[in-house]
Amino acid sequence: MATKQDFQRIDKYTWELPKDHREDMRVPVRLYANSELFEAAFGDRTIEQLINTSTLPGIVKYAMALPDMHQGYGFPIGGVAGIDARSGVISPGGVGYDINCGVRLLASNLDREEIEPYRDDLMNALNQSCPSGLGGDGRVRVNEKELEQLLSEGASWAQKQGLARPEDVEHTEEHGSLPGADPTTVSRRAKQRGLSQVGSLGSGNHFVELDIVHDVYEPEAADAFGLREGQIVVQIHCGSRGFGHQVCDDYVKSLQSAVQKYDIHLPNRQLVCAPIDSPEGKNYYGAMACAVNYAFVNRQVLSMGAREAFERVLAGKVRDFDLRLVYDVAHNIAKFEDHQVNGERIRLCIHRKGATRCFPPGHDAVPAAYRKVGQPVLVPGSMGTSSYVLAGQQRAMDLTFGSTCHGAGRTMSRTAARKKVWGHDLREELERRGIAVRASSMKGFAEEAPLAYKDVSSVVETVHGLGIAAKVARLEPLGVIKG
Amino acid sequence: MENERFEEMEHTADIAIRVWGSTLAELFANAAYGMACQLTDIRDVEVTITREIALQADDVEMLLVEWLGELLFLGEQENAAFVEFTMEQVTPHALRAVARGGRITEHQGHIKAVTFSELDVERTDDGYETALVFDV
Repeated sequence: MATKQDFQRIDKYTWELPKDHREDMRVPVRLYANSELFEAAFGDRTIEQLINTSTLPGIVKYAMALPDMHQGYGFPIGGVAGIDARSGVISPGGVGYDINCGVRLLASNLDREEIEPYRDDLMNALNQSCPSGLGGDGRVRVNEKELEQLLSEGASWAQKQGLARPEDVEHTEEHGSLPGADPTTVSRRAKQRGLSQVGSLGSGNHFVELDIVHDVYEPEAADAFGLREGQIVVQIHCGSRGFGHQVCDDYVKSLQSAVQKYDIHLPNRQLVCAPIDSPEGKNYYGAMACAVNYAFVNRQVLSMGAREAFERVLAGKVRDFDLRLVYDVAHNIAKFEDHQVNGERIRLCIHRKGATRCFPPGHDAVPAAYRKVGQPVLVPGSMGTSSYVLAGQQRAMDLTFGSTCHGAGRTMSRTAARKKVWGHDLREELERRGIAVRASSMKGFAEEAPLAYKDVSSVVETVHGLGIAAKVARLEPLGVIKG
Repeated sequence: MENERFEEMEHTADIAIRVWGSTLAELFANAAYGMACQLTDIRDVEVTITREIALQADDVEMLLVEWLGELLFLGEQENAAFVEFTMEQVTPHALRAVARGGRITEHQGHIKAVTFSELDVERTDDGYETALVFDV
């Protein structure tokens, strides 16, 4: 077991565990954290899981974790690994079950006073238009042929169906469509689960939140993103639902034999992987990309639900009820990107598990409207607390393969949270603070209590201080619909 | 008492339980029971659904993941939880069982998947034991 003493402090926010700490490590481990978050990382199995990650064939530079890191399975959450596409592996354990779980931000042109008289109606309408909880079907039901098109094309399929505007597609990571999606690599069962859930939130930590822009830190970037103090915005956080869970489940099982076939030695079965270039690795990538596209469409269809809710409640009452997509980012994904490694530009398969891409100003992949200021990064806080909008910075390309944090990061188990918090008490407390609540399950609601999470502000201060992503604006919740 | 068949373990993000059984069959039944207890208050489940399940796998851990995954999938299709199990045959590579359950009236939680994390079916003096981590 690694202890604090085994780590070298490189600078205020960087801690390194040398490669010789354990025989099977291929690269050093790096934690990006302030002192307090560094200490917290020793409270669970985060570091052990990151050391395990550092053993994957083809991994370059470091196995790294961002300040919202916590224990997951296989990779830790908040983990990033860059793996050489020519000689390395791809791992479903480095993406997770909720493939392309992510978040998007929609901005209105409304101020708080304009929606205040209708806030309850708006929350009810959002709750109706964005199906949540278990067993609930999505807003759109597709047949098998439509599903295959959706999986291959992602957001552009949604646009053809009239479910997305061109600017929605433009303002989604990868334009809402990861190349290489191959529906023939997806099991029947995954497809079966995918048919009915397009446009549904699901449960767990997923939510729709009505927020107000509370503070602006970088006026130029906020202006480019179309954000200003006092503005009403909406966040949607969810992923690829049963479809993505099934894809991961299928490949975690089927790749077990690939590990033997290619003689890969793993310290943990959940890290199961296959060479990127092998038929098994290619099949996983093709299926994972389908799930990525499914999740982009899922959030897009929910956005149309949010727009519909705003129209239903506010049409004729306010001057402008439209919602414009600021940006949509993935939190759980593996994708091919070119990065500088030891002076050489090479193609890597970047695994981000509970981490967000944060490309800097000038990068081609950043939408034209934002290219001067950097890619928008959306960091939702825990329920009832602040969320942040950041902008990607050049230093992220040097340190983290253009990645940053994805949220607050849990610090307490669900069972412990339930023992400390009663759902009904928490609901009352949030409502006393002026935050309207709609929840499908009080037990699930208690598990998401803010005290079970790290302080998102501390996480954000770390990435800002490290220089990988700059604080642009802070959002405060006015209402939350919890899946 | 449900506590005799499994216990909840601490896990920062997901749900983890430890289960045991004097035989593999009992371990598998207890694991399924422990999983159902995470989904709903099983005292509210009225048994109306019966499903026969037959599975094969390369090893016992894979078989356990397949078994629990099958129950989750069947449950999701019918908004149901399975709470009673007749294990007709369980070897490290194959099982045949009958699972009975009913509709969930009030969901307490959702399990996305059964992971291999910390999963290791061990022989003990009393039979078999393992941890199970569910992604939620």
